Amino acid sequence: MSLSQRQLALLLIAPGFALVAALFLYPLCFSLVSAFTGPEGGFSLQAFAKAWELYSGDVVFTVVIVVASCLLTALLAIVIAGTLTLGENRYIVGTLRALYRWPLFIPFIVAAQCMRTFLAKNGLMNNSFVAMGLMEPLQAVSFLDWRGIIATFVWKQMPFVALLLAGALAALDRATLEAGRNLGASRLRVLVELALPQVMPQLLVALVLSFVTMLSVLSVPMMVAGSQPTMLTVDMAFRINAYGDYATANALGVITYLISAGAAIIYLKRGMAKEGTP
Amino acid sequence: MEPETQARAGSGAAISVRALQVAYSGTRVLHGLDLDFAPGSFTALLGSSGCGKTTLLRSLSGFVPVESGSIVVGGKDVAGLPPEKRGMAMVFQSYALWPHMTVLQNIGYGLKLRGKSRAEIAAKVGEMLNFLGLSGYENRKVTALSGGQRQRVALGRALAIDPGILLLDEPLSNLDAKIRLTMRHEIRAIQQRLGLTAVHVTHDREEAMTMADRLVIMQAGRIAQVGTPEEVYDRPASAFVANFMGAENVLPLQVERAEGKAAVTAGGARATLEAEAAAALPTGEALAYFRDDVASLDALDAPAGSGDLIVPGTIAARAYPGGIYRYKVEAAGRQITVDDVGRHELGTKVGLRIPLQRLHIFPASEAGIAA
Repeated sequence: MSLSQRQLALLLIAPGFALVAALFLYPLCFSLVSAFTGPEGGFSLQAFAKAWELYSGDVVFTVVIVVASCLLTALLAIVIAGTLTLGENRYIVGTLRALYRWPLFIPFIVAAQCMRTFLAKNGLMNNSFVAMGLMEPLQAVSFLDWRGIIATFVWKQMPFVALLLAGALAALDRATLEAGRNLGASRLRVLVELALPQVMPQLLVALVLSFVTMLSVLSVPMMVAGSQPTMLTVDMAFRINAYGDYATANALGVITYLISAGAAIIYLKRGMAKEGTP
Repeated sequence: MEPETQARAGSGAAISVRALQVAYSGTRVLHGLDLDFAPGSFTALLGSSGCGKTTLLRSLSGFVPVESGSIVVGGKDVAGLPPEKRGMAMVFQSYALWPHMTVLQNIGYGLKLRGKSRAEIAAKVGEMLNFLGLSGYENRKVTALSGGQRQRVALGRALAIDPGILLLDEPLSNLDAKIRLTMRHEIRAIQQRLGLTAVHVTHDREEAMTMADRLVIMQAGRIAQVGTPEEVYDRPASAFVANFMGAENVLPLQVERAEGKAAVTAGGARATLEAEAAAALPTGEALAYFRDDVASLDALDAPAGSGDLIVPGTIAARAYPGGIYRYKVEAAGRQITVDDVGRHELGTKVGLRIPLQRLHIFPASEAGIAA
């Protein structure tokens, strides 16, 4: 019996496909089914009702944290990538280029630990301010709450977005930027009105990827912020570790998935709208 | 300078470049240039790659920092100003249109920067498009336009701000041959109609000759010659310029002077020039540069006549580009290209008739580089 071209192709991808199925599709389907199964078996939305009752505040908290982090990340990444592309001071550009990628190589858990020592009430930041005479020791407050989470997320994701954005900006036809300056636009206007619109797709991809990454980080909210309110990843871990309540944890997982799907849909819609116009 | 152009000069501004030096990371690219651009003139900067012509244009526009020297526009030195403060409009080789904007937004951008209202912008862009033969294209995406249309939009974008100075950075080299010829004519006509001072960078000799009323030939960061197309073509100042302007045949000569006359020998041939013509010649070893249409084929023993050299040679190659035959003739140790209507066989011994009056002759010591 000889194999057709088609069968041969299927045979070739079979090992890879099996791996994906066993390690990703099976657990995913299993969690989905588990989220929609009641305590006595059969279809039920009980787990979702419980998840919403206990954690609706955390759903909102998670969305707000991640969206705010994405916006701040985008802003800082634009400033850095813009400076790298349009900066004229060789020393500033050189220093920035050498420094900005470092956080990429630091794991979230290490970043979270660093932020703990940096943002605490008597952490490095407040101590430095006190030492510089900028504030009194009594005025020191801890930033180890939602602000700490956002600061860590932005610090960790900003280099990634800046890297993709700087690459996209560097690939632009320089003449399109020079044409703007030639007509009288300042460097800021060139960046905002001429360069960024041309690299919007790349910026959006980077932000959607960052959004999904931030949604799935457990260590940062657990280490940086206190107990309540907190992010969904912490709630999931708690449901499983404290109660062995997989159904509610899976329901929270589905909610997280829907949030990240929302980001993906916004991105895809924009992409299609762009392709639709001639 | 052509009086016709000057008479129409209206909004054009004068540029005066003095002792301009530019270096890229320590390597000097422009070596102290002095150059004046009269209001309403069309100047072409011409030279081979790396001669500094684009660097000169980019230092005028402010994209290349000036090491020393001045660029005076309207009585003000702009050498230290950033590009956005110079008021010169530039047209780029790659068109450099903004793909996320419509034709209207592209052309209107400079006006928007100047705080004009939407209505004013729409009116000016409409006028501009009408002027460029693109009426009704306001809301097209620039990515949907052809190369020629894009370059017209780029030109419109530059002209919309009513600049005194128009800088053209090889604007035609991305266009196909036919459109290039039309655009040459169009750009020149627009420049004359508006009386702009135009500076055009190109490596295309014919383009420079047909568009500009003055050529600046550049060589290795220095100016080799400045003059009208006729001057540069007919009276090149150096061997480099002669060679660059198409006089690619090189013939070694020996010039001897006696009693006011000059005797010229080349490859066994000899001719004598009378006093007036002889005065312009260098003495001793020299190199003559001439174009393909200067020499002609003749019999080996043809009478030399006055002022002609009959250099003996052998036909080494023949091609038929159409209408005439093009021969490579081995003569005086060189290969000389000659056009002739008759068909001759390879290896034929011929006399190469070369009129001395039409040669560009330079001392061998100076001409060495281009030989």
